[in-house]
Amino acid sequence: MSRILPVFRRSLGDSWRSLLGWSLGVAAALLLYLPLFPSIGGNGEMQQIIDSLPPELVKTLGYEQIASGPGYVQSTFYGLIGFLLLVIAAVSWGSSAIAGAEESGQLELTLAHGVSRTQVALESALSVIVRLAWLGLLAAAIVVMLIEPAELAIDPPDAVGTSAALVGLAALAGGFALLVGAVTGRRILAIGAGAGIAVLAYVGNAIANQVTDAQWLRAVSPYSWAYRDQPLTDGTDWAGLVLLWGVSTVLVVLATIALRRRDVIG
Amino acid sequence: MIPAIETFELTKRYGAHQALHGLDLDVTPGAVFGLIGPNGAGKTTTLRILLDIIRPTSGTARILGTTPGEGGPALRRRIGYVPGELRLEGRLRGRQLLRHLAEISGPVPPGTIDRLADRLGVNLDRPVRALSKGNKQKLGLIQAFMHHPELLVLDEPTSGLDPLVQRTFLEMVREARDAGQTVLLSSHVLSEIQQTADEVAVLSGGRIVAQGRVDSLRLSSVRHVRAGVDGTSLALLRGDLEKLPGLSDIAVTGDEGGGIARLGAKVEGDIDPFVKLLARHRVVDLTVEEPDLEESVLQLYGSGSVEEATHV
Repeated sequence: MSRILPVFRRSLGDSWRSLLGWSLGVAAALLLYLPLFPSIGGNGEMQQIIDSLPPELVKTLGYEQIASGPGYVQSTFYGLIGFLLLVIAAVSWGSSAIAGAEESGQLELTLAHGVSRTQVALESALSVIVRLAWLGLLAAAIVVMLIEPAELAIDPPDAVGTSAALVGLAALAGGFALLVGAVTGRRILAIGAGAGIAVLAYVGNAIANQVTDAQWLRAVSPYSWAYRDQPLTDGTDWAGLVLLWGVSTVLVVLATIALRRRDVIG
Repeated sequence: MIPAIETFELTKRYGAHQALHGLDLDVTPGAVFGLIGPNGAGKTTTLRILLDIIRPTSGTARILGTTPGEGGPALRRRIGYVPGELRLEGRLRGRQLLRHLAEISGPVPPGTIDRLADRLGVNLDRPVRALSKGNKQKLGLIQAFMHHPELLVLDEPTSGLDPLVQRTFLEMVREARDAGQTVLLSSHVLSEIQQTADEVAVLSGGRIVAQGRVDSLRLSSVRHVRAGVDGTSLALLRGDLEKLPGLSDIAVTGDEGGGIARLGAKVEGDIDPFVKLLARHRVVDLTVEEPDLEESVLQLYGSGSVEEATHV
């Protein structure tokens, strides 16, 4: 009777509308920004504007490379809008997966049936990862599709590698939200934790961009792990990916352990 | 015979609050066992421990021969559970929800879900969040009964149900017993327990204050009655009432010169003498209130002290 991955399938079934919304957001952001590159970034005017700005601001925003195709896509989408969209989606899904289900009473009902807590935690996490991966895949596909028409000069595999870094970064924030949700059972705390770590990662990277003495921040900022080696220009940064996905995996494992040990109160 | 449910010295502490103080329960297989007590007595805590949703601070529970932790998912497939606070949200339709729950419980014979839904009168094609409390509760009952589990653990299962559906539910419980299923039923409504349960444990303040066969516990003994009678003098009526054993809080009002006399009283124990007395007059209306659980339990067995507990 028990078919494969029941909790995972239920979770996807419950959230396809929200996934559709986030997909539209990602597609809209890419389709609005990227085709503008030939007229903004590609003709040298953009570089003049950037040159006229205070260098600290440019560094903070990560806009040094904005006049090149990969730099433009990195600065507008992967480093900013896409980062925001995927992190918000990941934190929202990660906090709902355990804490949200507990607060709504759904978790008690699920756990009263023939599923283990490990199964519930892992299948819920898998559902979040799959949804994020879908958004990453969609982003990569749209970027690749726009390389020719928008004169982006990006190597297609690099778009895939950078999307993997973006998804890993979002998964880390989502994984942290999942963990705090699994420990506390409180959705609001989970959201705060997930959003907090994303903000710290971004700010840490931005400070490291302009303060020479703060380079160590790159070692601890997941945002830096994802983007410091400019994967869209210089090719996929495998070490960064291993770090992002490794930490995300550890967070999921910790969330599973936490849920196994705790009373579910709702 | 291995008890269907057995707990030893079960305690549960939430921070400074102790919800259970050494609970010993013993539920015979095939019996309907009622767990009654006022709100906050520890009923929900006990039932959640049986399902491994929460873990006891100390003591053990054995269900169908194993512990909730060791039994795990395989054990829970053999149990049907209605949570005390059933909340259902989301756009999911009733049918989809039940299909999902069927996948993670014991095998559900084809047609069972629709048959139960027809019987309880709930529309499975509406999103669960649009359902009334009573209709959500019906979905809760369906998911607990649909796989014919060996053990049904029902926490306040009739809350929100209208009286007609409550009757259907009581039939379902009796049928489950006739089919050899064990039922553990918690309630704060006495009549519900009295109509179904073979055995009962009375919980108060996290302790069992009385346990035994339903009829052996003097649980139905406190009733509030109100009546209007015609053709008697108030003084005569009051005198007759005061002579009856077990009557207290007697109030008789009305017109001294005749007409309808209104009376109210608290009857403890046998209600027959009171009814016989009324029958001598023309009764124009009569209300016998559901015995109040707190009154029946706490008055008769003290405010939860173990020493006064009656074990039968």
